[in-house]
Amino acid sequence: MDETDGRHVAEPTRAGVRDTYDRIATHFASTREYAWPEVEAFVDNHATGRESADSRGGVGVDLGCGNCRHAELLASRAGLECVLGIDVSRGLLETARARADERAFDVELLQADAAALPLADDVVAVGVYVATLHHLPSRESRLRSLDELARVLEPDGRALLSVWSTAHDRFDATEGFDTTVEWTLPGGTTVDRFYHIYAPDEFEADLDASDLRCLEWELSSGNCYATVAGADVE
Amino acid sequence: MKESLLEILRCPLDKHELELEDAEYDGEEIVEGTLVCPECGERYPIEDGIPNLLPPDMREEAPA
Repeated sequence: MDETDGRHVAEPTRAGVRDTYDRIATHFASTREYAWPEVEAFVDNHATGRESADSRGGVGVDLGCGNCRHAELLASRAGLECVLGIDVSRGLLETARARADERAFDVELLQADAAALPLADDVVAVGVYVATLHHLPSRESRLRSLDELARVLEPDGRALLSVWSTAHDRFDATEGFDTTVEWTLPGGTTVDRFYHIYAPDEFEADLDASDLRCLEWELSSGNCYATVAGADVE
Repeated sequence: MKESLLEILRCPLDKHELELEDAEYDGEEIVEGTLVCPECGERYPIEDGIPNLLPPDMREEAPA
């Protein structure tokens, strides 16, 4: 490698994660065209038809929105008065803005940290938090992020969480571990991305340790999915 | 960002309501300005329409 900057080693900090995604934003977003079927099923169950169930409408959030493919899904379903796309990477938020302009959906974009959400308590009706939590580089920050999600969810709000797990074909380990996974840019430069790969029972234990209530969870395509509710109303 | 968003935005550090200063508008959109937390004094810039609400220790410029 003759270019000293050719291989960026992701630092195990949240700012490092931000820098990594700023660096690969355009190419990464171009490969994230379609919503996941698991997310479509969740949104169909929990967002569609809210207008008739609850005249307030409510706020939808795509946390770790990337190019906002899932915010687009939330915006396309009736019943939400506002959809937020939140990401740590300004570069990714620019790809979201381009997609929203091109496809004419409404989303409010915020640059923020998933472990320190800039939102009021109990305002989110429907949340999608997929393929993001595993990029937070310490268990402490991941638990804080789960508590933050619980805080901002309405009492009857629902969110879908997903993380990469050891059940994926590419991993042999049975216990959770930290690793980096390369992203290859056009031209061949690789950029390391931090991941914490969860063991399924570890993910369940972290949910239990958080303020969230886990309503159901499943393994699908090597990911752990959980449908969660906010903290119990005291 | 739309001004109505202020209703649900909070300081990421202490969750206090934020105040808008020096706003420049393009129609309904706030394109530049600053969100200020009157509790802790932290200031969050709105840059080209997108508020940067990262905690201060994550907000520094990315290395080139």
